[in-house]
This record gives sequence, structure tokens and C-alpha cells, in this order.
Amino acid sequence: MRRDVVAKLRQDGGWYALLLPAFLLLSVFYVTPILQVLAISFLEPEPGFSNYQRIATNLSVQRVIITTLRICTITTLLALLLGYALSYTITLAGERARRWWLLCVLVPLWISVLVRAFAWVTLLRRQGLINQSLQGAGLITEPLELVWNEFGIIVGMVHYMVPYAVLPMLASMREIEPRLLAAARGMGASRAQVFARVFLPLSMPGVVAAGVLVFIFSLGFYITPAILGGGKTLMVAEWISLQILDLIRWGLGTMMATLLVVTILVTLAVFSRVVNMRRLFGGGA
Amino acid sequence: MEGAYKPGPLGRSLGWATALYLVLPLFIILPVSMTDQRFLSLPHEGLSLRHYAGLFASSEWFASIAQSFWIACASTILAVTTGTLFAIAAWRLSSRATELLRALMLLPLIVPSIVYAIGLYRYFGWWDLLDRFMGVVIAHGVTGIPYVVITVSTALASFDPRLEQAARGMGASLRQVLAWVILPRIMPGIVSGAIFAFIHSWDELVIVLFIASRDVFTLPRRIWDGINENQDPIMAAVAMLLILFTTVLLVVDMAVRRKRDG
Amino acid sequence: MSVALELRGLAKSYGNFVAVEGADLAVEGGSFLTLLGPSGSGKTTILMMIAGFTEPTAGRLLLDGRDITALPPEKRAFGMVFQGYALFPHMTVAENIAFPLRVRGLGRAEREGKVRAALDLVQLMGFAERLPKQLSGGQQQRVALARALVFDPALLLLDEPLSALDKKLRAELQEELRALHRRVGRTFVNVTHDQEEALSLSDEVAILNHGRIIQKGAPAALYEHPRTRFVADFLGKSNFLRGVVREVGPEHIAVQCGPLRLRHFGAARLGEEVLLSLRPEKIALAQEGDNVLEGRVLSSAYLGAGHAVVLETPIGPIRVHQPAWRAAVEPAVGEALRMAWAADAATIVEDDDAA
Repeated sequence: MRRDVVAKLRQDGGWYALLLPAFLLLSVFYVTPILQVLAISFLEPEPGFSNYQRIATNLSVQRVIITTLRICTITTLLALLLGYALSYTITLAGERARRWWLLCVLVPLWISVLVRAFAWVTLLRRQGLINQSLQGAGLITEPLELVWNEFGIIVGMVHYMVPYAVLPMLASMREIEPRLLAAARGMGASRAQVFARVFLPLSMPGVVAAGVLVFIFSLGFYITPAILGGGKTLMVAEWISLQILDLIRWGLGTMMATLLVVTILVTLAVFSRVVNMRRLFGGGA
Repeated sequence: MEGAYKPGPLGRSLGWATALYLVLPLFIILPVSMTDQRFLSLPHEGLSLRHYAGLFASSEWFASIAQSFWIACASTILAVTTGTLFAIAAWRLSSRATELLRALMLLPLIVPSIVYAIGLYRYFGWWDLLDRFMGVVIAHGVTGIPYVVITVSTALASFDPRLEQAARGMGASLRQVLAWVILPRIMPGIVSGAIFAFIHSWDELVIVLFIASRDVFTLPRRIWDGINENQDPIMAAVAMLLILFTTVLLVVDMAVRRKRDG
Repeated sequence: MSVALELRGLAKSYGNFVAVEGADLAVEGGSFLTLLGPSGSGKTTILMMIAGFTEPTAGRLLLDGRDITALPPEKRAFGMVFQGYALFPHMTVAENIAFPLRVRGLGRAEREGKVRAALDLVQLMGFAERLPKQLSGGQQQRVALARALVFDPALLLLDEPLSALDKKLRAELQEELRALHRRVGRTFVNVTHDQEEALSLSDEVAILNHGRIIQKGAPAALYEHPRTRFVADFLGKSNFLRGVVREVGPEHIAVQCGPLRLRHFGAARLGEEVLLSLRPEKIALAQEGDNVLEGRVLSSAYLGAGHAVVLETPIGPIRVHQPAWRAAVEPAVGEALRMAWAADAATIVEDDDAA
């Protein structure tokens, strides 16, 4: 057995060396700072669980958790609905049209989140384009409050998340054999029946994967809620930043950060039985 | 799939509405960036390029663009070299341990950047890397690794492992196998990974908000300040240029992929 | 001739699974040896251990008397033709063939000369600038051969080199491979599951089953004198007759097989239970001979060159292969026929229960 190990190392040693740079970089400059965050949440201001007891006692902590969960749930549901309709249309589109549709998904996906938030501010603020046009058309007299509240946050977040919802759903819809649908119609099923009995059940794995992805991405979202919430509606990420940068309450901030990471990992672990994580994050081999 | 089965009116209209919702807000920036007014609005009398001129005349914006560009280049190099070697070795060794390591490499995609940012804020204090070019490069490079690992792993999935054996059997060393057989085959995957790692760094704000302040003032950081503080139409010009830039990179990526698949 | 490659107790196991059980094998220099066996018999594992891609769990590997067990594949540098060829898809034919020369740091001029010679050897002049995907399967196979031979390796290893080709092309390339072997005079070690290929190509065949080398020898010797039931069954087809030795004479023995008493040339102890292997083509229909048996035709298939007939007899079903040309009878189902075979037609085999 020892000879085996030694021989294997000699044969594969070079390959193991190639793993090292990325591994060291990640360990020293990624994993360590994050473990440090976990550690601080138990050590400051004094060792113990005092920071975690705040979950039960502190109103501000509870409020931000509830706000975050509410916004994330709404965002996830809306992103799934819109993303589903879009994926459905893309899947059933012709080869050439499909390329254009995909571009509609990929370009927003990769355009700076700041630019997108900026676009929404330009559109939604009191003197923004929407309010101005509505007032110009005489439909309203007072500008609508479209931004710097939960509505604005959700509009921006759903906009950010729809592409992430589309990609897994598209992947699973493309595996649906198109002849199945034609065959079902041929057997006398109506369009609604084909959708409800054949297409929807077959696309469910993609929907679950998309839901998990959008939800965990939404939980820790910082920039869009910060810009479109205008400091009035706080979500977890902005709250953490506030604790660390402005209030210098490291214990509380890192506690919330730990809670955030744990929630995300638990969600992933729970759904890893249902969802192919490889597909979410594009594993190799 | 053409013709066999089409979506109904409800599905189709919701699909169209969603596509417009995704794309229209981005298009609205174009006329706003060309407004003839001094504040953010649609053009009143005519189109004007003065905000673009203002952008190029501004040494502040220009410095930030240059800084962001160099940071993105350096961190892309870091992410691509380490990520590519890692993906190749993990693919070649392909054991339970390397699968676990690969999952570890994907952490930066899963853990919210705010958590990493506050951790780095304190950690870099010790290393004296706060507000340093090098610090941002490291942070962006490390968080860019997963993009490279994913694209290169995907490219390797369709690579015949016997080619590696064949090369070895003919006397090629590890270095020769890498340079002459594996790398040329997975080049499109590496280019894709590089593009994504570059865009990642170029757009990254949350980490920068924590670990940089004065000496390092990247483009996203300047946009952030702009959105929060003023309503200068220069912002729209910057946003427009960013949209163009990203679109060009994506089109390049699509071309590279098509070449690989074709 | 001298021994070029020697396997001494070479073994490989994965956990509890034994892929190869202590293989001993000597390959003569310049000969063509084929490892033949069904899938999972360990033949490919042995080839991979020879090439150095698989590390043996025990045993040694000697090349011209030198121990090479510990050498990595790139230090052994045997020529190898992979299953599916493993041509580099991003390189032209010439670049593929030049690859082993390039890794050895040969100069451009020398490379070009050798590549030309190799292309000439496999008759692919004029294809140098093509990409592998622009070639037919047979042409790809030849490129793989040229690439494996261009650097003058001590040993050429072939892993199922013809399995990806259709039947007609396979026969053609078998011819070519034999001719090539004669021309280059190198030692070839081939792996296949195709018994016809093994018989027609090789100087020697080693038959494997369940990780063991069962028998090794020249094709004709293996076919005519299989040592075990598995060998007789795997190389061609055979009838197996079980009986007890009732009489031992100076030249022949008598074997009681059911109601039948068979004359058989060979040696055995009195009272011993033996298994006889009898090739279907050595039985003649409607003729007389040393051993005679009556039967009724169960089925008959016309195969062009002959008839494959199965007859029901008192000692069980018997397969007979009869040439179609000038056959004594045209077998029809249900017909009663007499069959006969000579006393030296059958072979006593060891029963390794391969069925």
C-alpha cells in the first residue's frame, strides 16, 4: 500500500503542484479573512454568545432580518415568474430568434450593477423620466413615490435577478424533447393542458435550481438595495456595512455576516439533494 | 424546434414584457447621456455630446478609468494563471479530494461579497494592504478565480484524456503536454474565463468600498459617489460607455465560443 | 531471437478487485504478440502497465533485461496506437507525426525528413497538411501508426487498433499492419478482443481471462491444441464432450461418452474423467470415420462459405460446420444424418468452466 502511495505521488506530483497556487491564494486571502469574520462574531466585544443573543432581544436586528427575508421572497417569486415566461419563450423560439433573446438575457447579466441601479434611479425618482412623462400626460398631479422605498428595491433586484433565474431554467427546458409537446398536442391536448401536464412538470428541476440561486444571491445583495432603498429600507448587507463602517460595532456586524453565510450554506445543503449544484455552478468533467 | 410547438399569447406577451423590462432601462441611458441640459433628463432642444466631452476632459474620471483598467488586467492575470492550472490539475487528478477543492474554489460566488469585504477590511490592516493597488488586485484576483475554474473545467470536460496519455507516451514532459496539447485545446475556455474575470474586477464595488479609500479610487467607486451625491449627466455618459464596453466583451466571448463549438 | 520484453509476476489490483493476477510473459524481439481476451480480462491493464500509464501493484517489467518498472511513461517512450487513435485535433497530420520528435528537441530539418519517411511508410503522402477530422477512419489509423513509429521506439503498443473500423476496412488494415510489422522489424504488442484479428496478425497470442494469462503460443498451436475449455471456446467454436477413459492403448484411448465409445489419439489415465474439445469443421456429415454418431438436424444456416448445422444426438446437440462447395448433403431440418470424425480430431482440454 505504501509503495502505491509513493508511486502515485511520484507520478502525479507535478499535477498536485499545479493545484497549489490557487489553493494557497484562496486559503490565505479568502478563507482566512472569512473565518476571521466568524471568529470575531464570538470574540468581540467580549467572548461568548452575546452577539447572537441579540437576535432574540434586539428590535433593529429582528427588523432587518424580517425585511430582508420579505424582500428576498418577493424578489425570488417575481424573478421566477418573469424568468419562466422568458425562458419558455426562448426555448420555443427559432434558432435565429433564440440568439437575440439570449443576448437580451446576457447583456443585462454582465452590465455593471451600478449602471443598472443608476438607470433605475434616473427612471424612478421624483423628477425622473416616469414621473415626468406621467405628469406631462396629465395622468397624475403629484409625483409617485417609486424609489427610495421597498418598491424601488424590488424593481431593481428583480431586474438584476431575472437573468440568473433564466439560465438554470433554460438549461432544464432545453432538455425537454420538443417532439413530446407536439405529440401531446397530436393526442388532443389543449395548449394549456400540454403546458400544465407536460412542460411544467418537466421543467420543475430548473425552476427549483433557479429559485435557490436567486434567493441566496438576493440575501447578501448590497449595491442595488443601498442605492434604490436610499438608506430608508435596510437589508442585511447594508446593515452590516453600517455596523462596521459607521457604528464600529464589529461584534454585531460579524454576527449578522455569519448568520448570512450560515443561512446560505444551509439553503444550499438542503436543496443540494433536489438540485444538481454542478449545473448551477457549471462543474467540469 | 421550429414550428412544432409555439407558446400561447399569455406566455409570449409575458416573455416580451420581461425582455423589455430587462433591456429598456439600459437603452434609456443613451438619450439621457446626450441631453443638452445640465441635469439628468431627456434632451429638450437637441442632442449634445458635451457630457462625453466633459468626461474625457475630467482628469478625475480618467484617472479612475485607468486605475480600474490596470487593476482589472492585473487581477485577471492572477485569476487566469492560478485558476487555469488548478482546473487542469483537478481535471487530471479527478479524485474526491480535488472535487472538494473545486467546490471550495467556487466559494467566492456563493458567499456574499459584503462578508468577504468586512473580513478583508480588518485582515488587510495587518498586511498593510489597505488602499493599495496590490491589495485590490489580490482581492479581485481571488474572487475572479471561480469564473476561470468554471469556464476552463467546462472546456476540459470535452477534452479527450487519451490525448494527454498519448503525448506522455511519446515522451512529452508535463510542461510540454501543457503547452502543446492541453492549453491550445482549451484556449477558448481560458479566454472566456479571462473575459469574465476582467468584467468582475472592472465592475466590483463592495470590496473596494471597504479596502480602498483615497489612493485607490476605482471607476465603480466614483460612480457610486456620483449616484449618491449629485445628478451630473456625466454619470450617464460613463454608464453608456460601460454598457458599450461590456457588450463588446460579450460579443467577443460569443465569437470565441462559436469558434470552439464550430 | 532474444527476449525483448519480459513481465515477471506483473499484477494490478484496485482495492479488493484483482485486475491482473501475476502475469508472466516473455516477448521475443521483433515479434508480434497479441493479448487476446474478452472485455474485463485484464488485457488492457497489462498494456497500460507496459506503457507506464498504470502502476503495477506487484511484479517487474524488463526491457532487454533492464528493469523499467519504475520509469514514468515519458521515459519509456514506447510507440503507442490508442483506441480511437488520440490524434491531436488541433494539429495537422504532419504536426501530429512530428510531435514525438518535437518533444525530443529535434531540429526542423531532421523533423521534416522523418515525418516524410513516416508518411511514406503508411502511404499518406499528400495528406500532411490535413487536420485529423478531415481524414477517414482508416487514414486516421495510419496517422496514429506513423506517429507511433516515427521516433523509432523499441516497442510498439497497439490498443484495439482496428476496433473502430468497419469489417471490410479492418481486413485490409490487418494486411497492412502485418506488412508494416515485417518492414519495420520492431516488437509489436497488440491488444484485442477480436479472435480473427489475433490469429491473422500475430506471431504469438496470449489468451487472457479473469486477469490471468491462460495460454500463450503461435496461433495455429493455440487453435489446434487449446489447453483449456475457455481457450477452445474463445478461439473459434467447439463442441465439448465429457466422458470417462475406459481403455488405454499404446496410441489411442477409448472414452465412454454416454452410450458412445469414442476412439481418441492421446494419453490419459484409465478411469479418468476427461473433456474433449471437437471443432465443428472437423466433423464430416454423411461419411464414415473412426467415430460415428447418428443425429437429427435441429437447425441449419447457410453462411455462404458453408453450412452451420446443429444436430440433436444421444450425447446432446452437436455443431457441425460443413463447406458448402461440393457438400455431400444439403442438410434439411428434421433429416436424420450420420456424422463422423477422425480419432485425432478432438483435443483433451482442462475444464476451467468458462461457460
